[in-house]
Amino acid sequence: MEHKNSTLNRLYYWLIIAFFYAPIIYVVIFSFNSSKSLTNFSGFSLRWYQKMFADRTIMESIWYTVACAVIATAVSTVIGTITAIGLSKSRRIIKEAVTQVNNLPMLNPDIVTAIGFMLFFTSLRIQTGFTTMVLAHIAFCIPYVMLSITPKLRTLDPNIAEAALDLGCTPLQALWKVIIPQIKEGIFSGALVAFSMSFDDFVISLFTTGPGINNISIYVYANVKRINPTINALSSIIVFVITAVLIIINVVPMIRERRKGKENEKNLKGALD
Amino acid sequence: MKKISKALLISSAVIAMTGCSASSGKTEQVMDAQKEFGCSTINVYNAGEYISESAIPDFEKAFNATVKYDVFESNEIMYTKLMGGSAYDVLVPSDYMIERLMSEGMLQKLNQEQLTNLDQISDDVIGMRNVFDPAGEYAVPYFWGSVGLVYNKNNVDPAVIEEKGWDILLDSTYAGRVYAYDSQRDMFMVALKALGYSMNTSDTDEINAAYEWLLSMNKAITPAYVTDEVIDGMINGNMDIAIMYSGDAAYVLTENEDMAWVEPKQGTNIWVDAMVIPSNSACPALANEFINFMVDYDQQYANSEEIGYSTPNKKAAEELSAGTYEGISAYSPRTGYEKDEVFHFNPEMTKKLSDLWTRVKMSIN
Repeated sequence: MEHKNSTLNRLYYWLIIAFFYAPIIYVVIFSFNSSKSLTNFSGFSLRWYQKMFADRTIMESIWYTVACAVIATAVSTVIGTITAIGLSKSRRIIKEAVTQVNNLPMLNPDIVTAIGFMLFFTSLRIQTGFTTMVLAHIAFCIPYVMLSITPKLRTLDPNIAEAALDLGCTPLQALWKVIIPQIKEGIFSGALVAFSMSFDDFVISLFTTGPGINNISIYVYANVKRINPTINALSSIIVFVITAVLIIINVVPMIRERRKGKENEKNLKGALD
Repeated sequence: MKKISKALLISSAVIAMTGCSASSGKTEQVMDAQKEFGCSTINVYNAGEYISESAIPDFEKAFNATVKYDVFESNEIMYTKLMGGSAYDVLVPSDYMIERLMSEGMLQKLNQEQLTNLDQISDDVIGMRNVFDPAGEYAVPYFWGSVGLVYNKNNVDPAVIEEKGWDILLDSTYAGRVYAYDSQRDMFMVALKALGYSMNTSDTDEINAAYEWLLSMNKAITPAYVTDEVIDGMINGNMDIAIMYSGDAAYVLTENEDMAWVEPKQGTNIWVDAMVIPSNSACPALANEFINFMVDYDQQYANSEEIGYSTPNKKAAEELSAGTYEGISAYSPRTGYEKDEVFHFNPEMTKKLSDLWTRVKMSIN
């Protein structure tokens, strides 16, 4: 009985994996197609990659996407962290009120936020462009950062920060040396969410960007009219980069741990000898 | 986090640097835009996949200028962006959208003195432009075409489809083997034309008749409503009949020899996409130069050959239809047929039709 169950489990697991990854694999395979078709594979070729690298609009859109995501992540992480810490020390009413206001943009449909931003910038007669897009991204990233830091703060023992102050830390030192290290994981995951939200955002970017500034999503959407494997090549590169980055983040600390472990063993042995 | 961003930044910077421009190498510098006009950057907003790879680099070289090139997915998205205050110098919308922009005072007049290449445009296309811009004050044609039927010669008798035209869509012999186009405007055009009415009608009875026509079409052939999947679908021969734009049809015909093209005898929609300059353009002088540059023979030839839509440039069209697109009837849509029409902008009609269209789409299930 138990055995049967585990085969079923495994089957189910692989089905889910296939469901997630089959479309991505399909996209990657057709990026190497030698013809323009997206459904009929006629041979291996790198022509769509070549075309992609030669296309200035695509290259610029990659650049804008990355630059925007990096700036938005950095700024929203700093603002979000400071706000979350400040809120954790505030009175209950303020805390509740700000949390509600903070949650609203996440529940609000993107298109409403997007149109809101567009009308806002237009009514102030600000020419939309890269700056307005980054500002909008920062704004919609902050709630996610705060959301991932707040639970971490709640588990903190308030006495530790007080102890730090008692033992001669300035408030800034207490923040930097005591509070921040304890909520590090929350900040990190908040930043990661912010980055991925900003990286693949379409609707808000479309309405807040200006002439000559596209991100990858806008470019892909505008080109679905007569789609060709260049889009597949672009998507594949993104998949490759993200996979590589994920492997590096996960593997590097593991190697470091192992090395540390070995060194410790050596030291221990040396001491014993 | 920092590390990732840095890695991404560096890799994208490397990519950006190695991405070389695809200039055709033919062009020489003819002018220094900064010296001549006091500005050297223009923002161009065009439909996606609608320009040859060499056009922008060539123009930049010829005028020592910078072109910021953006693409839109539909005329409506473009309109929304304009409303949002985006400032462009050259737009390439369709006929009815140009009509709308003109009526709302959002376009500026072209400088005819700079447009020295206009005489290269064929009279037929000028005639189509005159429908929405009679004096040619605002728009210069970029691509044009029609809507028709692509069919598989092996499974559909050419004589029958020529004879029946749009009415073949009511023939249940082809049930489950037809692609319809998922667009309110195009499908009501088909229905109105099939019934012998004008596609620009505002007569309620005619519109209701068209609605009934579409319902009976759904019943007879249960078509698959698609948009861009139709191109790949017909190249692979998944269906026997499809409603398609001429430029897409030209591409399908070059890829699959079994496919043929017919423009129904009841008449169809002739459309023109044209270049215009918005009234808030910051550098109209260079924008005029860009338009003039794009209608020239060299650019139109490259553009049309690469994209597959029909060029308004007379010489380029003649050469391409005898060369690259020889035997591809869809490359040269018919002109001067009295039952063919250009679509006009009519906000009330669009609203009325959209309600009926929803019901048409629902009746398919």
